[in-house]
Amino acid sequence: MLKVENLTAAYGKVSVLHGVSLTVRKGQVVTLIGSNGAGKTTTMRAISGMLVPASGTIRLGQQDITGLPAHRISRLGVAHSPEGRRVFPTQTVRDNLLLGAFSRLTFGRARGDVEGDLERALDLFPRLRERKDQLAGTLSGGEQQMLAMARALMLKPEVLLLDEPSMGLAPILVEEVFHIIRRLKEEGMTMLLVEQFAAAALGVADYGYVMENGRIAVEGPAVQLQDDPKVRAAYLGGGH
Amino acid sequence: MAILLQLLMSGIALGMIYAVIAFGYQSTFATSGTLNFGQGEALMLGALVGLSLAGTVSGGPYLNYWLMLPPVLLFGALQGVVVERIAVRPAIKTKSEFGWIMSTIALGIIFRNVAENIWGRDDLPFPSPLPTDPIHIFGASVLPMELLVVVGALVMMLGVEFFNRRTIYGKAVVATSTDRDAAGLMGINTSMVITFSYALSSMTAAFAGVLIAPVTLTGASMGAVLGLKAFAVAIIGGLNSGLGVVVGGILLGVAETTTGFYVSTGYKDVPGLILLLLVLSVKPSGLFGKTTIKKV
Ligand SMILES: Nc1ncnc2c1ncn2[C@@H]1O[C@H](COP(=O)(O)OP(=O)(O)OP(=O)(O)O)[C@@H](O)[C@H]1O
Ligand SMILES: [Mg+2]
Repeated sequence: MLKVENLTAAYGKVSVLHGVSLTVRKGQVVTLIGSNGAGKTTTMRAISGMLVPASGTIRLGQQDITGLPAHRISRLGVAHSPEGRRVFPTQTVRDNLLLGAFSRLTFGRARGDVEGDLERALDLFPRLRERKDQLAGTLSGGEQQMLAMARALMLKPEVLLLDEPSMGLAPILVEEVFHIIRRLKEEGMTMLLVEQFAAAALGVADYGYVMENGRIAVEGPAVQLQDDPKVRAAYLGGGH
Repeated sequence: MAILLQLLMSGIALGMIYAVIAFGYQSTFATSGTLNFGQGEALMLGALVGLSLAGTVSGGPYLNYWLMLPPVLLFGALQGVVVERIAVRPAIKTKSEFGWIMSTIALGIIFRNVAENIWGRDDLPFPSPLPTDPIHIFGASVLPMELLVVVGALVMMLGVEFFNRRTIYGKAVVATSTDRDAAGLMGINTSMVITFSYALSSMTAAFAGVLIAPVTLTGASMGAVLGLKAFAVAIIGGLNSGLGVVVGGILLGVAETTTGFYVSTGYKDVPGLILLLLVLSVKPSGLFGKTTIKKV
């Protein structure tokens, strides 16, 4: 479904990714873990077109999407819930969700049942339903995080990129987010997940990549990474 | 009292024209952080194209005033697209922080020269669609055209507000204004939104041009001062506040007409400039502006 090969990227003159390769198969949940500054967010930004890679290729299905502008990649079915939420603060929760379906509402992508999907998104995140007509900027950080995720779902994506969906959430809500990810997985959603809670991420994922300094250091089936002593020591806090 | 009321009415009409032009400055600033310093020229071109269609200068009239409006608005929109493509997009692409200032000013000068060659340097009268005899309201005589200016300006601004709040394309414009990268992730072609905002900006200026033309005179140099004053209004009211430009525009318009009458027409521009300097020193983000920390 999604295949990244030898991706390199830089911010100005500072090169950040030095040849990243990863694959996400249809229906799979793949997680990308690694310490702060490893380049996880940058990898996602390159995939969704927020950043033009310096070299390498990114393929979605049969199509080469390397370097396409973000709106074209979005229309092809890549939804990205970005780091830092990035909801539209001056617009209502409902408007934010409709914007998530922008390409479906404007013929960029098959329309389907947008209103129905809006209802389903609000079912998935009942907190958002109560605050449907509230401005997104007035939501709590955790609620904004849920909105960012729900907004990405409104695309009806082929691939969903989630960059730290549990960031800033209270423990109970972190569990809720993972519960939702599991549910999406059961429905067949293809996902690339970046998470600070590496243990939980490996728990839900089929396959995992560990990133260090802009490179993939270790990769393997999630169950295998969970038992890898090096991974456990560095990212799973030894315990659990 | 009647005189004062009359001055107020003229001031409000003038102020609404400033507000419409300032609204155009806001629309491009919101989406792209850039401004068209040739807004005054967009106004002038709109008025002159309108004059050619509805007046006798080019062998017409071909259309009456009302039917002339749609083609003038379309012309304004296309002119805005030209400005964005030629003067602004290259500057945004190269991330040149100030390139667009020079290029929009330069393009404005070119437009003015072209207009001088087509329509000449003299000011021309614009036929009024409404009776030119003043009507009397509470003892004040008000030109019907001045009322049309106020109504037209309000309708235009409310129309844009409706578009922004109620349609998915309008929501996309607002989203692009608040977070361009995130808007791109929604599938919104944000470069196209910026082009659109330039089209809208020049279209509103062209509309202001044909609204004000029957009250004043029409000519290649009519836009320069209006564009500059509307810029002052955008600064006074705040570059991100729709209400701000209406209030700022009316303040400036009324200050000008009253000073012109009670002090001297020679000083009519002074209160506006004092207001501008005051606002800049006390509240630089404008009377209604939110303080924005702009990071490109
Ligand atoms: N906009 C930027 N400009 C310059 N450097 C950047 C920018 N964004 C990220 N970087 C640098 O790129 C490197 C990788 O950053 P990235 O955000 O991809 O890391 P990450 O793995 O997502 O980290 P975290 O877990 O903290 O989110 C870091 O060294 C960071 O300082
Ligand atoms: Mg990150």
